[in-house]
Amino acid sequence: MSSNLQYRSPYTVVDALPPGYSRRPAGEPERATITFTIDGQEIQAPEGIMVVDAAKYGGVEIPVFCYEPKLGAPVGACRMCLVEIEGIPKLQTACSTPVRDGMVVVTKSERVVEAQNGVVEFILLNHPLDCPVCDKGGECPLQDISYGWGGGESRMVEPKRHFEKPVALSDAIAIDRERCILCYRCVRFSQEVSEDYQLVLLDRGAGAHVGTFDGTQYIAPFSGNIVELCPVGALTSRAYRFRARPWDVEQGGSVCTLCPAQCNVSYTVRDEQVMRTLSRENAGVDDGWLCDKGRFAYEAWESDARITTPLVRQGDKLMPARWEVALTAAANILKKSGPRTAALAGGATTNEEGWLLRRLMLDGLGSPHFDSRRGGEFDFDVARTLANPALAATMPDVEWADALLVLDCEPVDDMPVLDLRIRKGVRRNGVKLAIASARPSSLDAGATRVARIAPGGAEAFTQALLAALGDGGDVETLCENAGADAAEVRAIADLLAGAKRPVIVWSERLAVTGRGAAPLRAICNLADRLGIAAKDGAGLLEVPLSANARGLREIGLLPTAAPGLMHCDNPGLDATGIAAACGEEISALVLMNTDPLSDYDDPTAWSAALAKAGAVISFSTWMDAATARHADVVFPAEVGPEKDGTVTHPDGRIQRLRQTVERAGEVNAGWWVLNELGRRVGVDLGVKVANQATAQIANHVGIYAGVTTAELGGDGVRWQERDAAANLPRPARTTFDLTPPPAAPSSDGYLRLGVFRSLWSGGEVVNAATLATLAAAPRRVELSPVDGERLGLTSGDAVTVKTGDGEMSAVVALRDAVPAGFAFVSADLRLDEGDEAAVATLGRALASTEERSAEVTK
Amino acid sequence: MSAAPQNELRHEDSVPQLADVSVPAELKAWIEERMAMYPEPKSATIPCLMHAQKLHGWLSPDAVRQVAAVMRVTPAYLVSVASFYDMFELKPRGRHTIYMCTNISCMLRGADAVMAELEAQVGVDNGGTSDDGIYLRNFECLGACDIAPMASVDGTYIGPLTVADAKALVEDLRAERDVLPEKHLTRRPAAATYWAAGKRIEQGGER
Amino acid sequence: MDDLLFHDIDEPGLNTIEVYERRGGYETLKKALRELDGDRVLAELQASGVRGRGGAGFAMGTKAGFLPKGTMDKYLCCNADESEPGTFKDRELMQKNPHQLIEGIVLASFAAGINKAFIYIRGEYDAQASILEAAVREAYEHGHLGENIHGSSFGVSLVVHRGAGAYICGEETALLDSLEGKRGNPRLKPPFPANAGLFQGPTLINNVETLSNVSHIIKHGGEWYARIGTEKSTGTKLVSVSGCVQRPGNYEIELGVPAREIIFGLAGGPLPGREIKAWFPGGSSSPVLTPAELDLAYDFDTIAGAGSMLGSGAIIVIDDSVSIVDVCLRTAMFYKHESCGKCTPCREGTNWTTKMLQRVSDGLATPMDLDIIASVQKQIMGNCLCVLGDAMAMPVSSMVNKFRGEFEAHIEQARAKHTPLSEAVRAPLDLTKQGAIA
Ligand SMILES: Cc1cc2nc3c(=O)[nH]c(=O)nc-3n(C[C@H](O)[C@H](O)[C@H](O)COP(=O)(O)O)c2cc1C
Ligand code: SF4
Ligand code: FES
Repeated sequence: MSSNLQYRSPYTVVDALPPGYSRRPAGEPERATITFTIDGQEIQAPEGIMVVDAAKYGGVEIPVFCYEPKLGAPVGACRMCLVEIEGIPKLQTACSTPVRDGMVVVTKSERVVEAQNGVVEFILLNHPLDCPVCDKGGECPLQDISYGWGGGESRMVEPKRHFEKPVALSDAIAIDRERCILCYRCVRFSQEVSEDYQLVLLDRGAGAHVGTFDGTQYIAPFSGNIVELCPVGALTSRAYRFRARPWDVEQGGSVCTLCPAQCNVSYTVRDEQVMRTLSRENAGVDDGWLCDKGRFAYEAWESDARITTPLVRQGDKLMPARWEVALTAAANILKKSGPRTAALAGGATTNEEGWLLRRLMLDGLGSPHFDSRRGGEFDFDVARTLANPALAATMPDVEWADALLVLDCEPVDDMPVLDLRIRKGVRRNGVKLAIASARPSSLDAGATRVARIAPGGAEAFTQALLAALGDGGDVETLCENAGADAAEVRAIADLLAGAKRPVIVWSERLAVTGRGAAPLRAICNLADRLGIAAKDGAGLLEVPLSANARGLREIGLLPTAAPGLMHCDNPGLDATGIAAACGEEISALVLMNTDPLSDYDDPTAWSAALAKAGAVISFSTWMDAATARHADVVFPAEVGPEKDGTVTHPDGRIQRLRQTVERAGEVNAGWWVLNELGRRVGVDLGVKVANQATAQIANHVGIYAGVTTAELGGDGVRWQERDAAANLPRPARTTFDLTPPPAAPSSDGYLRLGVFRSLWSGGEVVNAATLATLAAAPRRVELSPVDGERLGLTSGDAVTVKTGDGEMSAVVALRDAVPAGFAFVSADLRLDEGDEAAVATLGRALASTEERSAEVTK
Repeated sequence: MSAAPQNELRHEDSVPQLADVSVPAELKAWIEERMAMYPEPKSATIPCLMHAQKLHGWLSPDAVRQVAAVMRVTPAYLVSVASFYDMFELKPRGRHTIYMCTNISCMLRGADAVMAELEAQVGVDNGGTSDDGIYLRNFECLGACDIAPMASVDGTYIGPLTVADAKALVEDLRAERDVLPEKHLTRRPAAATYWAAGKRIEQGGER
Repeated sequence: MDDLLFHDIDEPGLNTIEVYERRGGYETLKKALRELDGDRVLAELQASGVRGRGGAGFAMGTKAGFLPKGTMDKYLCCNADESEPGTFKDRELMQKNPHQLIEGIVLASFAAGINKAFIYIRGEYDAQASILEAAVREAYEHGHLGENIHGSSFGVSLVVHRGAGAYICGEETALLDSLEGKRGNPRLKPPFPANAGLFQGPTLINNVETLSNVSHIIKHGGEWYARIGTEKSTGTKLVSVSGCVQRPGNYEIELGVPAREIIFGLAGGPLPGREIKAWFPGGSSSPVLTPAELDLAYDFDTIAGAGSMLGSGAIIVIDDSVSIVDVCLRTAMFYKHESCGKCTPCREGTNWTTKMLQRVSDGLATPMDLDIIASVQKQIMGNCLCVLGDAMAMPVSSMVNKFRGEFEAHIEQARAKHTPLSEAVRAPLDLTKQGAIA
């Protein structure tokens, strides 16, 4: 009956080892293969997986509603999956019964069919049959299961359950409680995956319904996932409601490039327009989740704020121009400036764009001055050590580590989906989590150990950890410098030392502290000390400061290294050097997907540099500050679904972007623009289709040698697992002499200033209707209740935060977990009118270990 | 005034901060002591909510926030738990509470008539609260079918009730008197009386 | 021997430790700690054959024996939720002789190597909970609880935990969730509590009455206890008799006496001029029996053999003045109200059944609806996450089947009266607070 029903549930994982794991994570227990019988056929399956999954090995589909392994242990609530198991008198839920050798399962007997019909009848009792006007219609598991396993008639004559509907759960999501079948997926997500515990079940029995506290909005970084999880039309995206039907849309897979998490996405497209963004589960990357920024960014791409034509400056105005005009203008700038041109690329830049930009600079203009990093010393040995495949942790390794140190980063803001992976590891696999951060982390609650350090104290903390591990140095002094509690540091050292699979997640922020490569050297030593290279499943995972930082570094968009981290004979200026040289050694600047005024840590310096730069060419999606004020030519940049190319995940997975919609307005492909510019300055970059740039990378980047888009397929490939990984040059040394870190700066009787960047920043957040209120939240300064009391401040007070030479306005949030003596300011470095002083201050605070004291007054 | 509305837009603020919520010292101490009684502090949820309810008369959003701030859980978690149980009140109720048992054993002995009379005397329907603060609702079996039909008045079990008792009961409550003292379960002679009244059962075999 | 649990139950002050100790209380505990080891105590419990008094009637000693050995934290939860309609025996035990229960808890903990015990008492039992709390305090003060009890290496803590009104929390795994501070939803089994119960640790769950038996069993020996009652239903049982009888109350009987003796002999039989129409032998979850079955021996297996169950030992008597339709509807309404809502057949089945019975009651049904009601009960039975759904389906189908004639007659008569569709059926649930989308 059901076998010919092409029912493809988007909600189930078919294999015990889903595609995307290039290998089983070392920590994950191996499963033996067993033989069992289902509906008369003998089938082999991994032992202990649930019968419902095992059945798929024999092509048998057992219907489910509540079962969703992504949410954790099965709950056995909906009872849709009842089957007969020989030797057990009662029908059993296939979703929660592990398969055993010799088990005999029956899914089609009269008893089972009766029970299935019964459950479908029960579920439909109170479910409105408003399928024609329901957004889920056509892609609704309830429709499919009713058809496949239902009895086909309803015997209920009483009125159905009624709720007020539909109501807004938040700006993003509407809930229609009448359609809810109480499968608990959404509340389990909130409670057991994102652990925000805001979406809950209220009341009980037939009155049970999904809701929040006192009608407040469901605001959580990952809230949109519940729309995808809901097996009926109870939870719908307000942005998507009533805008399309499943049969008049297409799905196109790609990769989100808004942050380093690089989640795999599937764009729903109608008439060349993205209608919504869905997760495209990749167990090696995102585990099937998206953050709300990635999910709703498409709204921003459709907004009027987007730049969709080339612009050329006329007087003090940027005016739309034809491509030919803009290209000629840009080429003239480049030709004139020649080797005195510099280029910077931001995280949304693909490997191909980075590669062509590099060639344009080197081969076309003879300039070695280009960078994709935010600054800081580049040390070959450190870079090659950190790139060593033996030291690389994969995303699944994070989940299967036995000890995990999160060093100076806040995953939920820096690489959101990593936050979920860490929570999963802690909750399901018992990962022992240690946090070392200045600002209280949202992961603290699940941590075994939490070390509060001073802002900027991460290097000293790492050295203290090394000392505690017996690497020399005085633990107490180093801890004092780190602003950390020595006992806590020792405990974390013990935790890591005792681990079979220690994993360290660290932020690229450590590379831009003003201490050059020193903090990274300490990390190399730590990896060595912990013997990570020799431990399967152990590793380091860098959380880069921008989405494709790793890829751009590896394809060679660096002033000091050749592609594949090879030696380079003729180094150029790095980002910091470029800023300093503008107006002198540098007379023109190309900005590709970056606004140095908000992306880089010293906006004051960049403000001056841009003013002096002579000419600026910008590839941009938004009218960011640098583009608006300084660009002479603007090329409209492609956004996610318009792009072709590859990017590299922080764990080394090369992933493929595929174009799924026509480019908006007059937008052209980045590679095409670069090729055209090349032509005009006299170099043939040789790219007529996007693929050719990938082929060039495959030919010239040793560690990516031979890579093809076909090989990358839908899930991507970690370069460390390809033979070409052998092309990575060996570092001359892998451990380093460390210089003593500076003492944590004194606060001179003021509060110590810490700065954090929220996930809710960037053009995609500001311009997406669904997210706009989040972006509009005022800058806040987080204080401890102790300081709040001392200063007479309560939450919500408008205050002025003064630092050495600047001041800014902010709103107080007292947080119990903030240690006394600190002030944490949200630094979404948007250069709004009149806010430059604040941004400069925050930028410097982000950039250096100095000037970290602040005064907060009403 | 706390900054709740503005801050609630931020996911960081899903657990109310003690700094923002003023929790009565006694309640805070009680909750902390109770949490310490369990291997996992969350176990204290129901007793703590009940304590807060006693203090505030109902589980007002503020009461819930207070418990949440001390227990370090989200208010949503707490209302989810509270709304599961019959004895938590998420809407304002009166000073006095009458749970009238209308389950089978009490029904068999006339509970419906007593309930009707109570409704008339209090002047509200099932689930309502009178202007002078008497909250009346029917309740499932309260575990005192030996005194059926019975009611729990502010936690005190009273029965067996006649229709006439309903009037006296409400009068006593209104006068803030001990309610139908002679009908308190705890003051009743116990089962042994019945044992004596019954006949001993002799059954084969030596004892 | 007269009565066990109710021995001198009304002695004034028995709830205080002075009186309890004066009467020899806690001597058994001291002796056991001095002279026996845990395994021996466990062996006595097993030899006694005492079966759980909470509803399922599972042998207590066997269950205690399922707990793994070892030094991890192990838990005992005394189930004092007593919410099964018609049941009020645990209340009496806790109110009048709390130390008998506490002594039993400590002994049972000793037997199973348990170090943390909880009494989960329904929130409505305010007076009883306060008495228990006072008794626990006394027991701590007198060294019967805590670490190194009476100089032994054994220790156990005890906390009285009040629920807040939910029948389902009597179901043992729902009780665990509730005790962990969550909504009282039953858990999937396996894992069974003996392996992964409270806080995922090994857990023994027993009813108040079951545990109140323990000190007597250890005092006199399991073999002695096993001689009381019948071979497979040993000991005495507290029976809560309620409904249409002259003397409702708790009676301690020897298992195996004829039900008639309890209902007529002890509880005085129906009111003058009335006849028994039906009776629940074990709480409202048990299928009803007819007067023809009054001579059955009141023990676990005999009642089960008659297609019902001893359950919590609560006999509810229905006489001929009562409409079975009312009883049936009220029963269904109870389970509808108490369904936790987690699993589909129970949540929807109890709700639908109630609506249908309401229609039957209102005269808006046909005999065909009775068939649907019966078939819906079948759809529920055995297909739910826990047995609350069955707890409605069993009595409801027993009433519909055994009294079909009365149902049909009622439908006829009520239809003639043209009762309007009841408000209860029509009233929509308006449970939302959130504003509509503009
Ligand atoms: C819906 C439901 C309600 C129950 N209520 C109670 C109860 O109130 N008290 C009780 O002791 N057992 C109750 N039980 C039985 C318990 O699940 C469990 O079997 C019992 O507490 C075990 O103790 P015992 O072996 O000593 O009987 C209930 C079971 C179900 C399914
Ligand atoms: S809203 Fe959807 S996901 Fe949530 S419980 Fe209802 S049906 Fe399941
Ligand atoms: S899928 Fe198995 S019970 Fe819901």
